[in-house]
Amino acid sequence: MKNLSIFVRKEFLHIVRDPKSLMIMVLLPLVEIMLIGFVLRFEIANTNLAVVDMAKQQQSTKLIHRLEGGDRFKVRLTQSMPEAEELLTEGKVKAILYISEDFDRKAVENSESSLQLLLDATDPNIATTIEAYVKATLADFWVDSIGGSPVPMLITEQMFYYNPLLKSVYATVPGLISVVLMLICALMTSISLTREKESGTLKVLLISPLKPLQIIIGKLAPYLLVSLLITGIILALSFGVFGVPMAGSLIMLIMVSFVYCLCALALGFLISTKAKTQQVAMMMSLAGLMLPTTLLSGMIYPIKNMPLWLQGITYIMPARWFVSILKHIMLKASPFSAYAGELVVLLIMTGIFTLLSLKNFTTRFR
Amino acid sequence: MQAFISAQGLVKHYGNTLALDNVSFEVYQNEILGFIGPDGAGKSTLFEILTTLLIPDAGEASINGMDIHKDYGKIRASIGFMPGKFSLYQDLTVQENLSFFANIFGSSIEENYHLIKGIYELLKPFANRKAGALSGGMKQKLALCCALIHKPLALFLDEPTTGVDAVSRTEFWDNLMQIRDSGIPIVVSTPYMDEATRCDRVAMIHNGRIMKLDTPDNIIKGYDGKLLSITCKDRQKPKALLQNEAAITSLYSFGDALHISLNNTDASTLKLISSKLEQGMDSPYQIKEVFPIFEDCFLQLMGQMKK
Repeated sequence: MKNLSIFVRKEFLHIVRDPKSLMIMVLLPLVEIMLIGFVLRFEIANTNLAVVDMAKQQQSTKLIHRLEGGDRFKVRLTQSMPEAEELLTEGKVKAILYISEDFDRKAVENSESSLQLLLDATDPNIATTIEAYVKATLADFWVDSIGGSPVPMLITEQMFYYNPLLKSVYATVPGLISVVLMLICALMTSISLTREKESGTLKVLLISPLKPLQIIIGKLAPYLLVSLLITGIILALSFGVFGVPMAGSLIMLIMVSFVYCLCALALGFLISTKAKTQQVAMMMSLAGLMLPTTLLSGMIYPIKNMPLWLQGITYIMPARWFVSILKHIMLKASPFSAYAGELVVLLIMTGIFTLLSLKNFTTRFR
Repeated sequence: MQAFISAQGLVKHYGNTLALDNVSFEVYQNEILGFIGPDGAGKSTLFEILTTLLIPDAGEASINGMDIHKDYGKIRASIGFMPGKFSLYQDLTVQENLSFFANIFGSSIEENYHLIKGIYELLKPFANRKAGALSGGMKQKLALCCALIHKPLALFLDEPTTGVDAVSRTEFWDNLMQIRDSGIPIVVSTPYMDEATRCDRVAMIHNGRIMKLDTPDNIIKGYDGKLLSITCKDRQKPKALLQNEAAITSLYSFGDALHISLNNTDASTLKLISSKLEQGMDSPYQIKEVFPIFEDCFLQLMGQMKK
């Protein structure tokens, strides 16, 4: 334990003595939030849509058929509003269309109709797109089914459950946290470990009473701490500047971030056992981790829109699971049971990566 | 006397290259054993095997009774190693490097200060300077301090003086003598032949094989034949004149001279050589018999090994 603290102190000195890297670690979240928050646009296909048809009459059935017609929606008929809402909170559907009892009569009377659209706005861009699609489908339906009479003003009453202002940054923040943590944990640790390899200091460390595990924990611990600090910075930014809500438990959020950091650290460690030089470690981290994390975590591009083989790959991205958990905690305040599965997946991944890297960490060479 | 370090039949291949070929030797408690040989001779491989970093293909070695295979953990916790490349933390200060290496061995600078005193006094003015900002010689001294500060059972120094100026090298070897006298055996490697005389015994290593292992005096005494030195303007000239002479075993440039190794020094042979030179040389030259030094011995052994 004493050895470990000596080692950790040395690692902190390395971090502090390298102000450039430290600056990058701190500034990166700021830059990312600006870029990702403003630049991205979204498109959708096969969105799960729950329909609560209280009318169950000719026109409403027609409308449902119409919605089912294209490849934009996968309609799930539900019997009651609470049932549909449950699907929405669980993330199984992205939107609910509520058709009230008097829909047919009001439509024919050409008077005010009563439809309600509930959108999952955790991905605000997607929510807006869904809304536009539903509106367009309704307009078409009106022209075709209600006949010659002019298309009435159709007001869809929107009531947002979470992210009522449709702020893009709400969706970006969880993804951003996942990318930044991956960068710091994996990239920095893999570089720091390969640096010892390259400079030959690892040899000197091995020729000492230090156990390999002490060397590894000593290497990872400081970066874990820095990562948690950065998480704090991003969250403070999100809450303070962008007004992102914190619906669920902050403690849960920190605990989950901790697990994700461990997972990323293990990945960085794994990379360092394979990479011979700092350059290689950097390339492996950037190309092998950063890019996939950004693109395949579901933060930017909806996983559902990806080709199937790519969707398969997202299952092995820790960020996919982490982003999902973060959305549950930060935006929906879902109960623990809603994301327990994802957390288990993350834990298993961490375990596998750790075992693999321990197996690859050679202390005696052939 | 019981050997402190012993190696028996060490063999190591890298792919098809034979890095170490059946290397055996012993090191005693109060001595400096030097491995002298050119780059690629197998010195670093040997050091990494002895310090348990590398697993040999065959052979046994032990340090103070600890086996490099079974007891490698114990060996690692008790020896001092200075790898070939400068291996300190460049971004930490002199003081921080030293106390880090003392502390991970559960020791402190104060506890073993007497061991490094002679060397560290010179470094003290730079205690708060970063290791990366030190001069080459200072870096080596610091690295030596770091390898010594935990009072190791034995010291393994792989090319500690490579890239260091002549003055610093002399000082460095003075330090090694002090360390040896305090009871720590030292195994050291160097590509510089002139450093061989500072060792108690020298192993001449080439292509992974120990060509000869003896005291520096005995190695010089063991030189086979006599050595002539010719100084002249154009060294190629006498080389061309003499190269087919039967009595000459080898001819090679040595500094600004040409060395001629003879297997006998009969009056007739010497006469033959001088007459050949007198006829052929068009510019003034000087010829004299010289005592062989390490480099001559090394080159002779290399030539014998080829045959």
